[in-house]
Amino acid sequence: MGSLRPYLQFARLAFQRRATYRLANWTGVAVNFFFLLVHAQVLLAFFRARGDAAGWRPQDAVLYFAASESLLMVIGIFPDWRFNLGERIRTGEIVSDLLRPVTLYGRELAERYGTGLYYLLTRAPAVFAAGWLVYGLLPPLRWELALFPVSLALSLAVSAGLWFAACSSAFWRESSNAELSAIVFVNSFLGGVFVPLDFYPETLRWLADALPFRATLYTPVALLAGRLSGGALAFGLLHQVVWAAALATLGRLLETRGLRRLVTQGG
Amino acid sequence: MLDAIRLYLHMASAGLRSQMQYRGSFALRSAIDFGVIVSDLAPVWVLARYFGHLDGWRFPELALLYGMVATSWGTVEVTLRGFENFTVYLLRGDLDRLLLRPRSLILQVAAYEFEARKLARIAQGLVVLVLACAALRLGPESLAWVGLGVLGGIACFAGVVMLGAASAFYTLGEASELQNILTYGGSAALSYPVSIYADWFRRAITWGVPLAFANYFPALAALGRTESAGWPVALPWLSPFACLACMGLGMAAFARGLRRYESTGS
Repeated sequence: MGSLRPYLQFARLAFQRRATYRLANWTGVAVNFFFLLVHAQVLLAFFRARGDAAGWRPQDAVLYFAASESLLMVIGIFPDWRFNLGERIRTGEIVSDLLRPVTLYGRELAERYGTGLYYLLTRAPAVFAAGWLVYGLLPPLRWELALFPVSLALSLAVSAGLWFAACSSAFWRESSNAELSAIVFVNSFLGGVFVPLDFYPETLRWLADALPFRATLYTPVALLAGRLSGGALAFGLLHQVVWAAALATLGRLLETRGLRRLVTQGG
Repeated sequence: MLDAIRLYLHMASAGLRSQMQYRGSFALRSAIDFGVIVSDLAPVWVLARYFGHLDGWRFPELALLYGMVATSWGTVEVTLRGFENFTVYLLRGDLDRLLLRPRSLILQVAAYEFEARKLARIAQGLVVLVLACAALRLGPESLAWVGLGVLGGIACFAGVVMLGAASAFYTLGEASELQNILTYGGSAALSYPVSIYADWFRRAITWGVPLAFANYFPALAALGRTESAGWPVALPWLSPFACLACMGLGMAAFARGLRRYESTGS
């Protein structure tokens, strides 16, 4: 891996790139807030006929969506369609990466954390505060909350791993856009973006627990909303650790294989 | 007019041919686009399955709402793609090139970057719509309401994307996220009956942007429902007018923005 400094530099640059477009970030708050309102009202309406379901009360559902819409951009559920590894491979810009003393995987990870930190300081508090103003709900204070930063950090690692795997398909094909959309759609469905996994039918729930996607959004969000504790929490965190490590291994493998195949044009 | 439509089809087929150069990629992306919308409907199914109904609406009825809005928005997303990305053409100066051609600007912008794979979107919306209509055993009169709603939705979303493009003349695209609220957000919100939303929210998507006229009211008429929300019974009849007004507003705003356009030259 070499020295850590270039990675910190990449993280810093990713942070600054986001910070350049201030207005875009504020309109983004409006988008997240709108979806928070839709999701929360829909689930509240479903709850209207019954007091609780799957051990959830209506306010848990609201809190879940307040947390998920706040953290969507921090975790990176949607890719950057213009600036990503797949595009760098497609255009051949990747050669300048190869001159740098970093691994591609390390760079992806560093950029994810830089971007995540920016949104954690700006977007997340704004969306959460807007949700609080409407519904007046705060996460229940409990000792498990202390594990939230760990879970969030792991979710960014899993997210970076998924994007890296999708992007590196561009080593073999002419573009990785199809793979990126595939990740978006599986991630939103099996990661619990629209519906908390607790309401899923047994088989789908089982699938979600086995695959990496719940490690991105569901685990940290359910933890924050107070819906994970005891054995379920331990499983969630372990699941995140295992998948973060597995995707890192896969990523490094794809990197070495891909680079061996890489041909860029020019002198 | 006929000439203009021929031109639109010509440009669209050029786009199609260029995208078919990478056949495998095209097939894969179309399949994934299809899947993306399945993942849109899946949450509705998951929730309806768990809770049984939403304010009296069961899954087939919810699927009807979804199918209507997905078909409308899908059609607009495919045929008016250029208006969605309009900011980019404005910033890159592509608009100047279009202005030089002696053809309808609206049709040229609409067909710019025609994305054939998105046809899967319309297909998926239609499949859901047809299945929902079949499951609900809708009669001819109900089907007419559904058709009217879908057409109204097309007009309504067309108005919204044109309005968004018009705003690009003034804001240079900083507001494009707000357009996404009305299009992607609006179609997400309208996959559920409007009656479940809080008063102010309901008013915003009925009178602010007449999206509720595109699927909710026609669906009420099609299903023969009278809602508890206390809407006048005649409201579905207003649908075509509200949706056409929205489209007219969008076209007028776009024309106005265009008159003010001075290119980027020195």
